[in-house]
Amino acid sequence: MMDIKELNKTLEFALEKGAQQVRLTYSKSVMNLTGILNGEVDKTAYALDQSLQLQLFVDGRFGTFSSNRLEKEEIERFILSAIDTVRMLEPDQFRSLPEPGRLVKDALTGKELGLYDPSYEELTSARRKEMALGSSFWSRKEELENGFRVIAEEGEYSDSLFDSITIDSQGLYARHTETSFEIGYEATVEDAHGNHYSNFWWDAAPLLKDLKLGTCSKTAIERASAALFPLEIDSCRTNLIVDTECAGKLVTPLLNALGGFAVQQKNSFLADKLGKKIFPESLSIIDLPRVHGETGCRLFDSEGVATKDLPVIENGVVKTFFINTYIGHKMGVEPTIEDATRVKLMPVGECVTQEDLLREIGDGILVTGFNGGNSNAATGNFSYGIEGFLIRGGKKVHPVREMLITGDFISLWNNLVATAHDARPCMSKLIPTLAFKDVSFSA
Amino acid sequence: MIQSKQYYLDIFKVDVPLLDAVIAEGLRSGGSYSDLYFENTSYGSLLLRDGAVTSGGCHIDYGVGVRVLSGEKTGYAYSESTLKADILACARAAAQIADGPSDVNPYGTRNPSRGEPNPAADRYPVKQNWREVPVAGFLPFLQALDANVRSRDNRIRKVIVNLAYSVSDILMYNSARELKYETRPMGSVSVSAIFQQDGALENKSTSRSFRCGAEMLSPALAEEMASDIVKGIDDRFAARRPEGGRMPVVMGAGASGILLHEAMGHAFEADFNRKGTSIFADKMGSRICPEGINIIDDGTLQGNRGAINFDDEGIPGQKTYMVEDGILTSYLHDRISAAHYGVKPTGNGRRESFRYAPLPRMRATYMESGSAKAADLIADVSKGIFVDEFSNGQVQIGEGDFTFYVKSGYMIENGRLTMPVKDINIIGNGPAALADIRGVADDLVVDPGAWTCGKEQSVPVSCGIPTVLIGNLTVGGQ
Repeated sequence: MMDIKELNKTLEFALEKGAQQVRLTYSKSVMNLTGILNGEVDKTAYALDQSLQLQLFVDGRFGTFSSNRLEKEEIERFILSAIDTVRMLEPDQFRSLPEPGRLVKDALTGKELGLYDPSYEELTSARRKEMALGSSFWSRKEELENGFRVIAEEGEYSDSLFDSITIDSQGLYARHTETSFEIGYEATVEDAHGNHYSNFWWDAAPLLKDLKLGTCSKTAIERASAALFPLEIDSCRTNLIVDTECAGKLVTPLLNALGGFAVQQKNSFLADKLGKKIFPESLSIIDLPRVHGETGCRLFDSEGVATKDLPVIENGVVKTFFINTYIGHKMGVEPTIEDATRVKLMPVGECVTQEDLLREIGDGILVTGFNGGNSNAATGNFSYGIEGFLIRGGKKVHPVREMLITGDFISLWNNLVATAHDARPCMSKLIPTLAFKDVSFSA
Repeated sequence: MIQSKQYYLDIFKVDVPLLDAVIAEGLRSGGSYSDLYFENTSYGSLLLRDGAVTSGGCHIDYGVGVRVLSGEKTGYAYSESTLKADILACARAAAQIADGPSDVNPYGTRNPSRGEPNPAADRYPVKQNWREVPVAGFLPFLQALDANVRSRDNRIRKVIVNLAYSVSDILMYNSARELKYETRPMGSVSVSAIFQQDGALENKSTSRSFRCGAEMLSPALAEEMASDIVKGIDDRFAARRPEGGRMPVVMGAGASGILLHEAMGHAFEADFNRKGTSIFADKMGSRICPEGINIIDDGTLQGNRGAINFDDEGIPGQKTYMVEDGILTSYLHDRISAAHYGVKPTGNGRRESFRYAPLPRMRATYMESGSAKAADLIADVSKGIFVDEFSNGQVQIGEGDFTFYVKSGYMIENGRLTMPVKDINIIGNGPAALADIRGVADDLVVDPGAWTCGKEQSVPVSCGIPTVLIGNLTVGGQ
């Protein structure tokens, strides 16, 4: 374990040997995992990682390096070699550390965001095994079997402690510490004809007390069996409802298109849309990186720049490109933040639950999972495989599969009609169940 | 690349008595098998963007993984230090998977020198070691490739060239006292370009990846990749989404093999079958596709991205027929699944790094050539799709359902290629698609791209296929 004194000495060594600016990040993580197969412990894993990352600015050139060989002699040899390597690259006038006024000032203990659970230190192997097995439903699976049998149940409980310190040659000191607890189960069921259907359920939380352990396997079995006897339906245009579990898949391409690198490289269908209203008035997405105790929140980005609440899309207007120092210099614009941290899509309408939303929409297809597909970053066109349920009169009437949705993102989001208020706090993006009108389905 | 045994023992600062002591510690609680996997990897990368190589770096990853098996159960721990105390601590952590006294003689009666690596059989000999070439030596190749690409089409607005290379020293030892060691090289070059025409943007990319040394960075490679990037760009701008529906699909030779990897190969991996989740779990010995079709997973292709001298459990790389003449004949095994099924391991126990326990994984997966001609397969289709290039495949192992994104292709109308198509998906079911193969051409191509399989861990693979006609798949269109 490197301490701050050793980190500072390492930074000074790099400066002495020719770097004009340096940023170092030391990170350490510990992970324990217990795997379950059909109601029994099937695997255990223990991992302890540490590494040192260096960003070196040498004679107008830049390089990124990392090593997990942290003995003093190894690090010094590595830094000397790294500086030589940077000197062989071509100069880049746009590279520098961030302007000091943008650096985080309030990440001193690493625990300011309340993402560290001290009870982690007291966990034993026996307790971990107990939690992993406690979510298994294998011994009671007959209670659910009705026209199908459960043929496999796989689960994992894992916990981890992550701790990082970032310093730079301008005096940055930024620490981030978090614990994470996760449970996940996958179930495979078989119908009378030998067809297999699999599904999963999971939960995660930075604090153990918030982890919902109890029903993961049971929920996975229920989700898998709900897909039995799928219906093949014809291609159509109808309403699309996207479960909160997978709704982030439709938001990620928007965030990617707002990334400075994509914009600068002209590989973004939103490259010329900053400040323009191209989405409906109802669409607002904000980034809330500093919410106490929430999964994924951070006080600073990888450059050490302080995060802050940002409107990403506000009432349909594109408000933010994610611009780091380098891309900002290169594009001649003010930098913002490197990336979105904890985005939230503001709910639309009065529906609270997915059931409320289905009742309001009436007919359509509820998508509960995406199976493959892709989008074109330059054009915004997409095509995704989907699985889910046919909805009639606000109710699920039949599972559907082997279907595709196609379109382009700007048109799709302009057809957003309503959402539920059901985003799951364990997910990195807070996206509720979404409902769109007039979407093309192929079958 | 295989060096002397002492080279590897020195890198990891260990000797055989220490390895024996760690194995004994791992089996102390009753484990039935234990192995050690030492790794010292140097990664290098260079990025050319906006006409200059202004970003690069080097990364070192070093450590050892200790695995203990108790029957089919796995205990795993790793350390980034190879000091005796740290490796022994890992062995104790991994040993917790077992909970009784050991009744195993860890070393049996086997000869410790049995099966040591044979440099003459090396599948990735290196002429120019990546570690010995200064970064400056790579810049001319990247700059020449960038210039070559830009010179070919005045619609090009941006070019990115990425070079990534790695060299891994590997040492393996197990409770049968088998010692294996080798050095694995890997070099990958990728190019992407943004084209602009009448205000519309299109992107294209291509990659090459081989287990070899820096000698791969040749003028011929730059010429080939630059040619690939501009090939078909006019059709890409002209391409439209076709009307969707169920129709015959002709998969072009080469990169379409990703469909074979995703939709069939994963379902042949023995862990999914051992657990009963694969759609092929009870199909061993059954006909799963028409006569004459052979599907192979091959670790023996010299210099191929999926080539291995040994898998990550020390089993020799080999060529495994999964389907012979249409009959399912073998799953892909690691040691655990091979013991479960009572067969020999097939050399498919692979892992991303010392941080992971091995799993059954593919190497180079392909279908052997048939006897048809590609042009005849296309001529047989009155209305369908010809797929030139796939990406982003995904499969549900239990159901066998797959989806693939079509980057480029053409409509087939009355036996002829007509309108270019793009940005659509093809969706189907693996077993159904296999059973519905109507013809296999004589033009197998194993794709040279930088394919990486992401089943729990990332491992380098490759894939290939001859031109194949499938009777009926769902095509997502307008």
